[in-house]
Formats: sequence, C-alpha cells, structure tokens
Amino acid sequence: MAKSSSANLAREEQKLAFKLLIPAFLILIIIALYPLGQVFYTSFTNREFASTTETQFVGMDNYKALLSFTVKELDPVIDEETGEQAVDEDTGQKMFERPIRVLPRDPHLYRPAFQFNIFGSKYVVGARTPDFISSVWNTLLFTFFSVFFETILGLIVALVVNSEFKGRGAMRAVMLVPWAVITVVSARMWEWMFEPTRAGLFNMLGDRFGFIDGSYAFLSDASLQLPAIIAVDVWKTTPFMALLILAGLQLIPNELYEAAEVDGASKVRQFFNITLPLLKPSLAVALIFRTLDALRVFDVFQVMLSQKRYSMASFNYFQLISARQMGVASAIGVIIFIIIFAFAILYMKSLGVDTE
Amino acid sequence: MTRDQKKILKKALFYLVLAIIVLYLLFPFYWAVSSSLKSESQLNMTPATLIPRDPDTGEISIFTRNYKAIFLNGGFIRGLINSSIVATSTTILALLTGSFAAFALGKLRFKGKTPALYTILAMTMFPQVTVLSGLYAVINALNLSARVSMIFTYLLFTLPFTTWVLTSFFRDLPDEIMQSAQVDGATAFQTFHMILLPLTAPALVTTGLLSFIQAWNEYLFALTFTSIDVEARTVPVAIQYFSGEFARQEPFGEIMAAAVVVTIPIVVLVLIFQKRIVAGLTAGAVKG
Repeated sequence: MAKSSSANLAREEQKLAFKLLIPAFLILIIIALYPLGQVFYTSFTNREFASTTETQFVGMDNYKALLSFTVKELDPVIDEETGEQAVDEDTGQKMFERPIRVLPRDPHLYRPAFQFNIFGSKYVVGARTPDFISSVWNTLLFTFFSVFFETILGLIVALVVNSEFKGRGAMRAVMLVPWAVITVVSARMWEWMFEPTRAGLFNMLGDRFGFIDGSYAFLSDASLQLPAIIAVDVWKTTPFMALLILAGLQLIPNELYEAAEVDGASKVRQFFNITLPLLKPSLAVALIFRTLDALRVFDVFQVMLSQKRYSMASFNYFQLISARQMGVASAIGVIIFIIIFAFAILYMKSLGVDTE
Repeated sequence: MTRDQKKILKKALFYLVLAIIVLYLLFPFYWAVSSSLKSESQLNMTPATLIPRDPDTGEISIFTRNYKAIFLNGGFIRGLINSSIVATSTTILALLTGSFAAFALGKLRFKGKTPALYTILAMTMFPQVTVLSGLYAVINALNLSARVSMIFTYLLFTLPFTTWVLTSFFRDLPDEIMQSAQVDGATAFQTFHMILLPLTAPALVTTGLLSFIQAWNEYLFALTFTSIDVEARTVPVAIQYFSGEFARQEPFGEIMAAAVVVTIPIVVLVLIFQKRIVAGLTAGAVKG
C-alpha cells in the first residue's frame, strides 16, 4: 500500500514537472528552435524581403558567395629607368601593382578585402563579398583583444577590491556603474569623447600633454577604429569580469595564504602558486561567457561605425534590413552560429570545464 | 628605509592604484554629465574644458536647456514609455514561465531532467543574432506589432537566464519544507505557490531586475523590429536616432543629457540591490 502510494506520488510529480516545463519550452521552441530552422532553410534560397521575385532554391550559392576568398601576391612595380622598385612620391612607400589586376574576375569578381605584408612581399586577400570576410576578421580581432584586456584589467581590479581597506563597499558600488550604462549609451558617450577635434576629450588630453600632433579622427581612421571600439567594450565589461573573478577569489580559503606566509613565500609566489591555480575554474567560466558574448558584438559596431566597418552581427543586420537579402542574411546567421558553437566546444575541451 | 616607511609606501601605492581604477570607471560618466550641461558653443570650445565654462569669460556656466529639450522631445519620451512597457512585460512573462520551469528543475524528480537542464544552460548562451532573419520573417508573416514582437523575442535571453538562476535558488531550499507540506496534505503545486514561491521572493526580485536591465539594454532586435515602426522605438534606438532641438550637427549636448537621464535610474536601482545583483550575476554569468 505504502509502496503504491509513493509510486503514485512519483508519477504525480513527473506529470506536474512536465506541465510546469511546457510553457517555457513551448516559448523557446517558437522563438529559438523554429526561427533557427527557418534561418537554416532560408540560407539555401535567394529569398528577398518585400520583393516580388519568386524565391528559388540556390543550394550553397549564398555560402560560396560569402566565404570564397583568395590570397594573391602583389608584384612590385618596377621603375623602368632605374630597374628598381618604384616609390610613391607622395607617401614614400614602395609601390605594388593594384590588387584589381591580380584578383580573378571570371566567373565571379573578387574584390580586395585587405592587404598584408610578410617578409617584404605584399599579399592581398580578395573575396567575392569582401565586407563579410573583413567582418569576420574584425570580429575575431575585437574578440581576442577585448577579452584579453578585460581579463587582465578585471583580474587587477578584483585583486585590489579583494583586499581589506576602508571604503570597500563603496568601491564595489563604483564597479557596477559602467555595467549599468546601456551599451548604446556608452557607445554614444565614447563617440563624443573620440570627437576628431580638440572638443573631444582624447584629442584635448593628447594635445595638452603633447602626445599628439594635430588631432586624430578615431572613428574614421581605419587603423584606429578597432582600438577605439575595443576601448569602449573594455571599459563597459571589465567590471563584469572583475565581479566574476572576485566571486572566485572569495572561494579561496584564507588559511592557504596564512600557511604560505609562515613558509615565507613572497606575494608574487603566492599569486602564481595559490591564487592563479585555484582561480582557474572561475576564470574559465568568465572567459567562455565573455568570448561567446564578444563574438556576437553588435551594439558598439553599429552605433560607432555603422557601415564604415562591420562586425559579423552588424553585417547580418545590414544585409537583412538595408539590402533586404534574407537568403544571404540567413547564411550569415548560420555561419555565426557555427563559429560560436566551435568556440564553445573548443573552450570546454581545452579548459576542461565541468558544466555541472 | 625602515619597516614603517615601507608600510606607508605600500599603502600609498595601493591607494594610488585604487584611485586610478575609480577614475577609469567613473570618468566617462562624469564627462557625459559635464557635457550635458554645456551649450553648443561650449561643446565646440577647443580645447574642451573639464567643467562647463563660458567661452568668452572662462567662468563656470551651467546650461540646463539640454534637459528641458529632451523632455520636450516626443521621440525620447516615447522611447522611455516603450522601453518601460517592453522591459516590464517581458520580465513578468519570463518570471512567470521561468519560475514554473525552475521549480520543476530544482525540486521535482522526473525523467529527462538532465537534458532539460542542459538545454536551458545552452540557451543562456544562444547567440540571438543567428535567428534574426528567421524571427523577422515570422514576425512579418504573423503581422505582429513591433512592441509585441520585442516583448516575445526578448524572452529568448530573459527566459533561459531567469530559469537557470531560479533553478539554483529552488535547489538550495531545504527539501524538508516540501516534505512537511506534503505530509500536511498539500499538493506539489500548492507547495510551490503557497510556500516555495514566497520564500524565493528575494530571488525573484534579483532575477527580475537583471532581466529588466537586459531588456532595457537590448538594441539588435529593437533596431530591426522597429525599422518600419518609428513609434515603437525603445530608448537605445531613440538615442541612436536623436535629432536635436538646437544643434545643427549631431546634438551631443542633448544626447549626453538623454544618456544621463536613462542611466541614473538604473544606477540607483543597481546600487540599492547591489549585493543581490552581484549574486545573481555570478550565478547566471550573463552580461547585461
């Protein structure tokens, strides 16, 4: 009797659990799973938004158009009189032939995405959709550098806040301020600080302390755009990183440090032999979350650079809303999904994270 | 150098580092406040001044019309209203469905619990941008209004987050509470909403606040879904498309005033619930 009633209870519990889970899972199916399937399907079509042309199945065409790229060496331009490489009279730089001459035209036109130098030779990366190849590259650079600086700065802030001092509570409150600022707002705030004249904070400071000559157009100058964007993200996200690391620091028992002190270990040694190894799990979690988050960066890129330079997400937005290319946008969505998924697996494997 | 001197030096160094950190974290916000109190001619002064000064006399002069201007700006007010509606509705929906699911995941025994937990955890990391075009197609097919679309699609990040954090709170509640309620003849659902739910009120406040902030912050979906419905723009979109009352170029004075106005309430909320927010953040590890 008792047995059957407990079996009954268990069955009741099972039923109740399913009932309670249904709304949440139903919502997730409607807003995540179904659209994901839709994106996957649409990525194989040439669907255009609000257009009268009939949608056709185009197989892998969108992916080929987005991902095809080629690397070609640029030959130096030889000055006919001297027989040596010609030098640009205005910039004083060695001249190479124009990328357009070496990149393939048939059956598809490849346009230059970016150029780089190795051992004095110059190479051009050409792509059928150079903006997309660049957006992937921009996003990877952004992710690497912003996560790197956030981790270092976050660690420093966490170590400082973790020590005993007056006003520690106030300091923790201060840490939450950048986190509480809306991302779009923080991008606007920094955009104003980056003003290309001395009305902007950075140009004013640089000028006053004599770091710079004239003024920098941080958001128009191609070589300064990414560093500027990374600076905004690092400011906004370092506190979050610091909070996660701080939570990890507080799990380390104080006795360990006391014992190390007795043994005469220096503070530096204590850091490398106690703090860092014991911090590894929290650091790993923080790194994963930040990396996956940075890979889908949209807000700062869209607000500060819009169509000057794309991240993967802002290029996706551009294709969907401005170009109305639903098929292409869907293919981009799938590619982003695969990249992020690959990063997640890679991280979990290499850091040995326990998901429990 | 004596030991005491060394100690003082160390302390001084420590406070120096601390001061640099505080300056780094707060200065951009100070700059926004200071710029919001400048007129256009003060904003265009070169070199820029740390505090608002009169361009001719160099004396301190505060300009408050930027704040008046943004409250006379229909777009900004509409943005505040839209954001409040969207963020509040999505938070309530997320808490409602999330707490049901979290109770099941945290306190009940059933088959398939582990895969369900993993699904929720995976969903907290789901990249929203990948389903952008799919959601846009669904919304257009169903002809949903922009506000309704935002309320539902924001569940994509608020629901898994709330469920995940609440699950850990439910799990930490002692099993005895449930057992004694069962002995008293209460059904599992009665136990849930009469005993466990009140106990998790603090957790509900925390997760509610965090998902509210996330929704208040959201830009990608808001920008996409309001692209044809200007009336439904939320605060981030309104601030991006700010057109000024006075300024000929980008009205940075008004933009900074708007930035300050939308940031202060959140900062105040965050400071009041500081401890709980930190706990919730580290439990959910989701960036706001």
